[in-house]
Amino acid sequence: MNKSPNHESAIQHVTGKAVYVSDINLSSDMLVGRIVYSPHAKAKIVSYDLKAALSVKGVVDILDYKRIPGVNQLNPHKNDEPCLAQGEVNCIGQAVFLIAAKTEEAAFEAEKKISILYEPLPAILSIEDAMEKGTTIAPPRCIERGKPFEVITTAKHVLEGEVKTGAQEHWYLETQAALCVPGEGKEIKVYASSQNPTETQEVVADVLGLNANEVECEVKRMGGAFGGKESQGSHFAAWAALLANATRKAVLIVLNRDDDQKITGKRHRSLSKYKIGFNGKGEITAFIVDINLDAGMATDLSIAILERALFHAENSYYIPNISITGTAWKTNLPSNTAYRGFGGPQGMAVIENAIDRIARFLKIDAAEVRHRNFYGIDSRNQTPYGQTVEYNKLYTIWDKIIAKSSYFERRKLVDEFNTSSEFIKRGLALTPVKFGISFTTSFLNQAGALVLIYKDGTLLVNHGGTEMGQGLNTKMLQIAALELGVPLSKVKVNATNTSKVPNTSPTAASSGTDLNGMAVKNATDKLRARLLPCAKKMIASKYSFEPMGEIHFENGEIFEANNRKKSITFEALVAQAHFDQISLHATGYYATPGIHFDRNLGKGEPFNYFAFGMAVSEVEVDTLTGYSRFLRTDIIHDVGDSINEKIDIGQVSGAFIQGLGWCTTETIRWAKDGRILNYSPDTYKIPTIDDIPLEFNIELLTDAPNPKAIRKSKAVGEPPFMLAFSPWLAIKDAISAVGNHKFEPTFNLPANNELILLSAEEIRSKMKNKKKK
Amino acid sequence: MSNNRIKFILNSTVKEVDFNTSNFRPSTTVLNYLRSFNDTKGVKEGCAEGDCGACSIVIGELTENNSIRYYSVDSCLLFLASIHGKQIITIEGLERKLENRTVLHPVQQALIDHFGSQCGFCTPGIVMSIFALYKSNAYPNRNDVVQNLSGNLCRCTGYEPILNAALEVCSNLQPDHFDANEKNVVKILEEIKRKQASVIATAKSQVYHLPETLQEALEIKESNPTVKVVNGATDTAIRQNKFHEYIEEILDISNVSEVKLLSKQGNGFYIGAGVTIEALKTFAKKNIPTILPMLEVFASHQIRNVATIGGNLATASPIGDLIPLLMAHSARVELVSSNESRWVEVQEFITGYRKNCLKSNELIKGILIPKVDENVTIKSEKVSTRHQLDISTVSLSARIEFEMEAVKSIILAFGGMAEVPKRALKTEAFLHGKTFNRETIEKAMEKISDDFTPISDARASAEYRLVAAKNLLLKLISG
Repeated sequence: MNKSPNHESAIQHVTGKAVYVSDINLSSDMLVGRIVYSPHAKAKIVSYDLKAALSVKGVVDILDYKRIPGVNQLNPHKNDEPCLAQGEVNCIGQAVFLIAAKTEEAAFEAEKKISILYEPLPAILSIEDAMEKGTTIAPPRCIERGKPFEVITTAKHVLEGEVKTGAQEHWYLETQAALCVPGEGKEIKVYASSQNPTETQEVVADVLGLNANEVECEVKRMGGAFGGKESQGSHFAAWAALLANATRKAVLIVLNRDDDQKITGKRHRSLSKYKIGFNGKGEITAFIVDINLDAGMATDLSIAILERALFHAENSYYIPNISITGTAWKTNLPSNTAYRGFGGPQGMAVIENAIDRIARFLKIDAAEVRHRNFYGIDSRNQTPYGQTVEYNKLYTIWDKIIAKSSYFERRKLVDEFNTSSEFIKRGLALTPVKFGISFTTSFLNQAGALVLIYKDGTLLVNHGGTEMGQGLNTKMLQIAALELGVPLSKVKVNATNTSKVPNTSPTAASSGTDLNGMAVKNATDKLRARLLPCAKKMIASKYSFEPMGEIHFENGEIFEANNRKKSITFEALVAQAHFDQISLHATGYYATPGIHFDRNLGKGEPFNYFAFGMAVSEVEVDTLTGYSRFLRTDIIHDVGDSINEKIDIGQVSGAFIQGLGWCTTETIRWAKDGRILNYSPDTYKIPTIDDIPLEFNIELLTDAPNPKAIRKSKAVGEPPFMLAFSPWLAIKDAISAVGNHKFEPTFNLPANNELILLSAEEIRSKMKNKKKK
Repeated sequence: MSNNRIKFILNSTVKEVDFNTSNFRPSTTVLNYLRSFNDTKGVKEGCAEGDCGACSIVIGELTENNSIRYYSVDSCLLFLASIHGKQIITIEGLERKLENRTVLHPVQQALIDHFGSQCGFCTPGIVMSIFALYKSNAYPNRNDVVQNLSGNLCRCTGYEPILNAALEVCSNLQPDHFDANEKNVVKILEEIKRKQASVIATAKSQVYHLPETLQEALEIKESNPTVKVVNGATDTAIRQNKFHEYIEEILDISNVSEVKLLSKQGNGFYIGAGVTIEALKTFAKKNIPTILPMLEVFASHQIRNVATIGGNLATASPIGDLIPLLMAHSARVELVSSNESRWVEVQEFITGYRKNCLKSNELIKGILIPKVDENVTIKSEKVSTRHQLDISTVSLSARIEFEMEAVKSIILAFGGMAEVPKRALKTEAFLHGKTFNRETIEKAMEKISDDFTPISDARASAEYRLVAAKNLLLKLISG
């Protein structure tokens, strides 16, 4: 069978026929919904009047919090995110009113006519400010091993520092959207752009005061999500549902880009402080790191995100004595949320930058220092939280990528180039990633499926995961086809629907294929077992022999292993099974075994396994303007036995470039009153086709089956995001070349042209001063 | 003359919009027009400001030699009335039916084969951009593909598969159904133009003029002094999309052929105000190499296809890419009204923040760029967050006239450093008569802060702007 069948929606994509929420064709009396949100970072709502707005022609209804029939809450777990503001607002972008109108223009007019009086209050707009005022969203968390505080005092060398990482906008091409259609009685159907149909169903039920069985949520596909639609996609469904319920008409909410960038959460900004102790060989003996995240105005997923940051603070390195603490701080910004990597990148940035410093300090190549600190195979292989790093691929990948990228030869070439070029500098860096796979909230590691076989021998696969472009449905289709031995053309994957598979976890944590693939397999195993006796009977009667050996289902045929030619077709088998009154549909279920974590002790085995990868990047920096361009990147990434190589390579290149954006051009600045300044693509710059490395080589690690997951594969969605630390640190290497690597450059993330230029200028002025002395 | 309708071809069907009965404004964007029908929802809105390309479509336009020229545009920045007499090709028009089967266009198939779509939302726009490139018969190299696709953002793939698909399909050009149908399209478009050359469309308290001749345009301007002139509309359309600013009266001069001249004239080059940036870029490659670097990083391919030099100049934006460049070339602007014409220097033309010296009855006819003498060096550099599809944070266009090694005259025109594109007069004065070497430049760099007090904004800090501006002087001699 083809190792890489096309994305199952590829034809729909390229012909423009793929349907997204805003394309759904409903009756002509569908209304548009508009969210009226707070212009203040923190304020009291003194009074408001909706009369004039309600009289605008085409306006059907305007809702405030009093019109919510159920609970005024978007976060059923933490209860700290009101659906509509009541008495106060806590960020710019917090929803206050909802307008339903016949046209967008009418809704826009109405918004202008709402009169509302706010009393602005002092707001907290930075991590530093929150730290000073002590506004946390939960108590700090800690993971510790050995005697870090003791060892750091006796370490041969100690470096101390701070690393800041920036916020990142998801910039899914399809903005947040939801369509809600009222049905019979209280029923409501939600067409959502959400990674989390079950939570969407629950939130809609909560705000409307309905039971879960009265709300159906369907997700056909998303036009990108990247975490931005894990928790926050449900908000738009709740708002559309309130309007649909109030007007008893279908209501569509589609955010325009500016509103999406202004009101939705981002990747958490971080501010981390560290001390790192090491010996003359660059071996790390102690690491003390304190990670601080900007959670925004509500809890959202910040606790889990912080936890993952802690779990990845040591990245691929064995550090005997380590203290990792972390706090998520409450500020008056829209609540920050899940974003590919989920805290992992913020955690890893610190150690990667610290190792880079060690290398410069000791004048040893940074790739070498990394290698010296890698987790061991049989010893030095325990993570700070006590999980053993099994099936460690770091050494294999390091050897391969050093050769593939001609790392040491190019190191020399880069140095030569830099000696002969005053202002254009080149840099080179290798960085690894080790990423834990599983939801760290252990109970979420479960999934369901419902596989239907129709009488004509075709399959319809339902599963709990959602398709956001990552190719999950393609992989589910492949798995079902392989397990029941039918051609891909006979299998279809249905839109994800809460009435088919209930109580699902979000499609997140890179776990979509691992969890749902196993659930699909569990269903197909049941079906296969039910069909088996019937198949044997049919072969026996057709060919007059008793099949005693193993029965194979392959390419639409069923036969005994040793009698390949004596086969029956899958269609015939299914038709017979129906006559024989055998059920042709089955549910599947899977829960990842053996994972657990004790949050109080900071110990456990939170991950099913680890994914590994490495990248080498070369960059050229114009140190007079700060402009950088990427000459070459080589990646070797571990996805176990790939289910679909082309899709996996696409995940690696997509994640890497998204990471590159976070590390370089994607900068968010805020005004003093908390207004986001970079709220449109005019000033918020994600990578274009011009920003990818001129030479971009991606290779999947071969002969690396993963015994822990479906078809020996590995999760791939998030891990390669963090490979973008290689271009990030290559930039630093280039800046460092300005001072002939004698000065540690001021460096944070993103390394945008402003940071690069000012950092290079600082080194130039240090050099001048040195000359003067 | 006009009967308040426009006619055009949508894929292969002739369409008419009657503004007396339709729900559309003349300035309704083509994106919103297409998305209001269930059979053309393949086109997507990603940003409504021309910064993502999800709404890309292709325009087929009659050329002088009776063929069709295909080019990609952002349909979110395209006014409905402006497509009169053109062919609009959307994603739905690319496949064709052959007996009972659907045959994909080679561009679509290439994208599938290379796994060039993931979430699929940007894909229709990407397909259309590659299709336009395919139809340009250019056998593009990697850089050409990058230039043509820099206006299409994709957040999923990392672009590599898209780049490879475009390179492969454009190196193996096959005749397609557009070639087969071209003669017919030419005939229909000629017929439309013959029956109705100009358009005056009135609907929903808006009047839209789309004249064919300069004379008509000037008469309209004369009798409606407050009319908003658009020539590409890439700036005006954004304001409508974002702030729901519906302009009462619009004069769209994008069909006026007299402002599209592009020629050598005397000791220089005359560029009609209506010349698109893309057309100018092609012309500059052979004729005015000193303006080429700026044109290559001007917005995106889709925007370059419709944005005009006249439009860029008239916005008088402090960060407009071309104004400092034209200042450095000592370019002159020809302004015309019904009864007279006059010339002004580019720097006189700009009178303040987004203000120019056009009188209410005047239009820009063209710009004269004098030929660069041998003893003159012109260099320009744009600094932006991202190389493509971005606006200047700071830019410098410099003109240095040498007498032996010494600076005889100098223009240092900066963008992004003040409320208008502005010359660094104090720095210029310092350099005047001095030898142009590292030592003098380093001293001159100190003068920049006497010339400018830049601001901090969404793009960069004041500190960065000042340092970058100084360094741009150093770049004049360091390459």
